[in-house]
Amino acid sequence: MPSYVLGISGLYHDAAAVLLEDGKIVAAAQEERFSRLKHDAALPVRAAQYCLETAGIPVSRVDWLVFYEKPLRKFERIVSTAVATFPRSWRSFPRQMHHWLGDRLWLRANLTSAFGVSPERMMFCEHHLSHAASAFYCSPHDEAAILCVDGVGEWATTSLWRGSGSAIEPVSEVRWPHSIGLFYSAITAHLGFAVNEGEYKVMGMAAYGQPRFREEMSRLLRLDSEGGYSVDLDTFSWHWHPTEPATARLARLLGPPRFPGTPFTPRLDPLAQHHADVAASAQAATEEALLHLVRHAHAAVPAPALCLAGGVALNAVCNGRIAAEGPHAHLWVQPAAGDAGGAMGAAMWAWHGVLGNPRGPALRSCALGREVARDRTAELLADLGARFDDLGDDAPERAGRDLAEGKVVAWVDGREEWGPRALGQRSILADPRSAEVAERVNRSVKFREPFRPFAPSVRAGAAPRYFDIPAAAASTSRFMLSTHPVLPEAQAGLAAVTHVDGTARVQVVDADTSPRFDRLLGAFEEATGVPVLLNTSFNLKGEPLVSTPVDALAAFARSDLDTLYLNGFRVERMR
Amino acid sequence: MGLFRRAWLTVVSEVAWRIPGRPQRLLAAFALAERGSMLDMLSAVELTERRGLRKLYFRHALDEARHAALFAGRVRSLGAIGRAEAAIEDSGQLVEAGVVAGTTLFERLGEEEFLSFVYVAEADAVEQFEVLLARRLPDPETAATLHRILKDEHFHVSYARTEVERAAAAGRPMRRSMALHRWRRVGQAWLRFSSDFGALMGGFWLGLAYVVGVGPFRLLGRLEPGGWQRPERGGSSLAAARTEG
Amino acid sequence: MNQPPPPRAWLLRLGTAGALLSMLAHGSRWWMLPLVLFLLVMGAGLLFVASFPYVAPFIYTAI
Repeated sequence: MPSYVLGISGLYHDAAAVLLEDGKIVAAAQEERFSRLKHDAALPVRAAQYCLETAGIPVSRVDWLVFYEKPLRKFERIVSTAVATFPRSWRSFPRQMHHWLGDRLWLRANLTSAFGVSPERMMFCEHHLSHAASAFYCSPHDEAAILCVDGVGEWATTSLWRGSGSAIEPVSEVRWPHSIGLFYSAITAHLGFAVNEGEYKVMGMAAYGQPRFREEMSRLLRLDSEGGYSVDLDTFSWHWHPTEPATARLARLLGPPRFPGTPFTPRLDPLAQHHADVAASAQAATEEALLHLVRHAHAAVPAPALCLAGGVALNAVCNGRIAAEGPHAHLWVQPAAGDAGGAMGAAMWAWHGVLGNPRGPALRSCALGREVARDRTAELLADLGARFDDLGDDAPERAGRDLAEGKVVAWVDGREEWGPRALGQRSILADPRSAEVAERVNRSVKFREPFRPFAPSVRAGAAPRYFDIPAAAASTSRFMLSTHPVLPEAQAGLAAVTHVDGTARVQVVDADTSPRFDRLLGAFEEATGVPVLLNTSFNLKGEPLVSTPVDALAAFARSDLDTLYLNGFRVERMR
Repeated sequence: MGLFRRAWLTVVSEVAWRIPGRPQRLLAAFALAERGSMLDMLSAVELTERRGLRKLYFRHALDEARHAALFAGRVRSLGAIGRAEAAIEDSGQLVEAGVVAGTTLFERLGEEEFLSFVYVAEADAVEQFEVLLARRLPDPETAATLHRILKDEHFHVSYARTEVERAAAAGRPMRRSMALHRWRRVGQAWLRFSSDFGALMGGFWLGLAYVVGVGPFRLLGRLEPGGWQRPERGGSSLAAARTEG
Repeated sequence: MNQPPPPRAWLLRLGTAGALLSMLAHGSRWWMLPLVLFLLVMGAGLLFVASFPYVAPFIYTAI
């Protein structure tokens, strides 16, 4: 009889559930795809339900439920910090205690009542160990240095591990309140974006600026000679203020903060250019810090491979630089590197690290979520009076032709993606050659800021003709996790997906793991000679990726998309 | 309850809409409610057994999405600040404001109860908007927005009423169900108040605990230094894995 | 989820409180024990009042 381990993350942001059957991933899903609340933090009851349904088992068959944190350690850190920052923490202490004493501290009871698993069958994995496991056990490497960088877990904000076979051993860690993740979030807030949501926007904005605040940044984020770092705790206030991550000193150092929602016109407005320069400086400081940590990791754990996880590992520009300039021959990043990935890591840690089972194959595809049932889809389309054709297996070729005609296409195919990136299961696709298309997708399809870039998807064999992808990034580029230069001669032909700094967060599509998406790219190539497409996540502003046909049709109806492909059905625009 | 409710709405609206900055918050709350309602309607599209109603639910969901965008647009035009800004951007606010819970309304209520709830909620919204317009409380642009939205709300009331009447004609106790929904809405408002009041009082007591409990330990507390540190870890044994949770 | 009835939440919470105190007693922050004990008592009070949501405002007022 197979053994089942259910990994759970949640209660901060990006709650998720992952089910392993004898160590093999059966299903993995984020709660937001079910609740439709972006970054949903609630205990992932519906995601877990989906995982169990996919395996066809009741919850009583689950051998172990593994939570991705040790809440008592976290509580210890919160109380200890309140003591150390007395009396400045007078505003944050009552809020945090109300939250913790009223609910979060009693996790064992809450998990029991939410999931129906007996407390004797629960394990709790340290937050950073969950991240480390999510990167290492999913990677193809037997020996690796593992680096985790995020906001904060229990105490660790950055941690280094040695992965060997089925074992992960701690090497060293940087502790709260010193945190690169929180440094980046503080700058995100300073630039008028929401923390835990707007970090991608800072990355996009950075390309429009010059890093002329390098010196100021080096005072805020100080790299030491031991390969570590510390932050300026006189400027940052995340350890004692409930809502403001920085004091007024930050504005004195970096100039006035950006008001949320201010139009961004860097070449016309000096203040916007100033903010772009701040973004560029913060991004450069983060990249330097990450490279500094990676070099230390290589010295402390001299393995040819580096595995990365934690929210900061979703900074694709940093990953691109680590692959190009870092000392490791191979880079592997968990596709759901943020807290969602903790669910996968916690489950895998229990299976391999605690229960001592040998490693399985590496993660090769992110198509681990819900699938669209074709009969339900046909019924739904008929009920809604949609105009549609059933193309069945010919959908990729027809979609390729639609794209060649300049249409903006939504593509829903198979199981949805694990992690924040759309990789050809829930994507909006368009012709990558024209900058006007990109502008249209930003303005009237996704309703998002015009400075945010779009990513390209390219057929594996053609990638070297368009992009300068270092060998170390072979795996990260499959999951759209690293940014690389677009070759100068290819930039004009890929205007919609080449960012202002000449780079792109490219996805290299492998025909083995994404056969239908590869066929779609092939059809577009046949019509245009270009084996590349603009690929952005199929969601509208402020919403998670679409999951079901109903989500897809609702997003389709509310945007300016031309055509929707829904698991083989081609749906015309609904007016 | 009708006359009493209208009088109550009039008094509350007269006060609330005249406080500076308050209209933004109220409009943000409307935007949140519409977003929450959209999620409920999409869940109904997904789950309904009555295929004939699917298209109506879907149209209703799209209306709610449009209304949410219209209200959010008004919040921005009026100069959103603080919580109002967050409310229109952040999904977490839907949970905080109690607009969405662990399950959707359709999942909790089932088809008929859901329809009677839709009728009650939409009729209440119509009444609320009519009071606001009659008292000329919103600015002219917001009033124009409310007029546009009212047309859709009348349609929602109308289709929900048709379905409720159909169910009543089939012998279902719909009148009782609608009365229960009305009282449930009052109960939920009280629970929201209770929760907010609890947070306030809890904050007071915990603030007191901070002064008398945390203060005396100040000299013992220290922040961790920066740089790499040796990790303190419990290991990967099964016994260690089951602790600290 | 199709689940067996959970054990009584209060017993589990008591176990969690014990585990927390034990963790502190065996670690370097043992000096936080009295403070955390004090907070746990307050937490029990908060949880108790919150378990009667309809009358909670009256209980708070009475206190």
